[in-house]
Amino acid sequence: MGLPGMDSELIVKPEGEVKIETSGLGLFYGEFQALRDVSVTIAARQITALIGPSGCSKTSFLRCLNRMNDLISGARVVGEVLLDGRDIYHEATDVAVLRKRVGMVFQTPNPFPMSIYDNVAYGPRLHGRCSRSELDEIVEKSLRAAALWEEAKDKLRKSALDLSGGQQQRLSIARVLAVEPEVLLMDEPCSALDPTATFRIEELMIELMTRYTIVIVTHNMYQASRVSHYAGFFLLGELVEYGPTEQIFENPKDQRTDDYVRGRFG
Amino acid sequence: MKGTQSMHRPQKLGPRATQAAAFAALWAAAALVLLPVAAILGVMFVRGGRAISWEMLSSAEDGLLPAIVGTVTLVALTAVIAAPLGIAAAVYLREYAPRGPLVRLIRLAIVNLAGVPSVVYGLFGLAVFVTLLGFGRCLLAGACTLALLALPLVITASEEALRQVPERLRAASFALGATRWQTVRRIVLPNALPGIITGLILSVGRAAGETAPILFTAAFIALTKPFPSSVLDPIEALPFRLYYMATEAHGITEDAKWATAAVLVGLVLTINLVAVITRARLRGARRW
Repeated sequence: MGLPGMDSELIVKPEGEVKIETSGLGLFYGEFQALRDVSVTIAARQITALIGPSGCSKTSFLRCLNRMNDLISGARVVGEVLLDGRDIYHEATDVAVLRKRVGMVFQTPNPFPMSIYDNVAYGPRLHGRCSRSELDEIVEKSLRAAALWEEAKDKLRKSALDLSGGQQQRLSIARVLAVEPEVLLMDEPCSALDPTATFRIEELMIELMTRYTIVIVTHNMYQASRVSHYAGFFLLGELVEYGPTEQIFENPKDQRTDDYVRGRFG
Repeated sequence: MKGTQSMHRPQKLGPRATQAAAFAALWAAAALVLLPVAAILGVMFVRGGRAISWEMLSSAEDGLLPAIVGTVTLVALTAVIAAPLGIAAAVYLREYAPRGPLVRLIRLAIVNLAGVPSVVYGLFGLAVFVTLLGFGRCLLAGACTLALLALPLVITASEEALRQVPERLRAASFALGATRWQTVRRIVLPNALPGIITGLILSVGRAAGETAPILFTAAFIALTKPFPSSVLDPIEALPFRLYYMATEAHGITEDAKWATAAVLVGLVLTINLVAVITRARLRGARRW
């Protein structure tokens, strides 16, 4: 645990509206401490990239933000995560509502084994939207927002599993958008995709940024520098440095960040 | 250097010869397993074939029809009782239960339940369903007893089917704000259904051939009333009929006994076949 004065130099607070704020966030898997003392502020309607070598717990951090770690037995969280100023780990929090507000796109595309339409309509149906016309509208809007409508509009009733990997990932994004989240957590969304599909997802993120707060975990340094406004560098369960992307990539203050972004390790 | 070493290593048999020997031994072992099955089925169908006739199968008075109807009814009712209990237990164990001593205890109980001899189920059924609950010797009591017998298999097969639903589908559902029950009902169960149904059919198929559990609880030899009119009537059943013919009845030819056995085995094999076909058809519709 670093001194507060020391932290303030390396962990920069973004300007403007705040969406998520963590303080002293720690995560344990049984005895193993995966995250220690992460205090960070995530700006609303901006793209925040989390970078770092494999096993540095950046994905674990992401999963703290929508309480997906609750599903892992033996996982325990300490500290606070504030979403719009409210602690999501408060006992009164309805986790289902939280996850509706904080959507997640996973590393590998994971469409449900059902039609494209039913995939997108899954979330709205869960939350009680059942009328045919309303669902039709949501499905079209979400597929358009995920840049999949033109390719999918003629085969909405076909199995989602017949889509290509890149299309499946855009479907996963459409599925999340259909529940109208405020925050999008993306866990290496392009790692299973080819460069063309990756480019489309990146374009999409920039489009979505105007309406959603996006937090993306990525291994791809170029991706982080291309799309994000803020970047955080994780190492061994600690947030080493956090600030405007330019600063992290061009002029990092910590030697370890400098080594990593220059490709000296990881 | 490497090459010379291995070339000069002394070997009694070349890899090809070892391969051939291993193949022969394994083939023989597999063939040996087939032998008793073929022998039993062969004797049964040859000897039974001599005695079997349409009349024997379809006559309600001295034919097998009451026993066939009885066994089919019994199996159907067993499935109706065992399915909800077994599937619910499996869903609890796989999807809800936190890992801990309680679940370990339940699993231990299931394993032990599967190991209990079937005659003990019969006595238990007699004590609980026939006497204590006052069902009397009847279809319902027999089906309850058989359902208990089938339950460990149903639970185990259902749990396995649930386990095969990929974790990432559950994660995707939770991440969209689904509750656990919504996830189970809309994602997990539909995708596990082929496996669950197959397991259920196979389990009750096994129960169909059991004699001991129905001996004290349901089965009788119908002299006046061949077909039950309610679940509280006793029934004829093929395994019991066979047991009776083999031990107590007089003036019945060996071939007639084999014929009854052939009908029972035929019925069980048909049930298994239904399970296999169901699985193949349902599986074709789903993949991930």
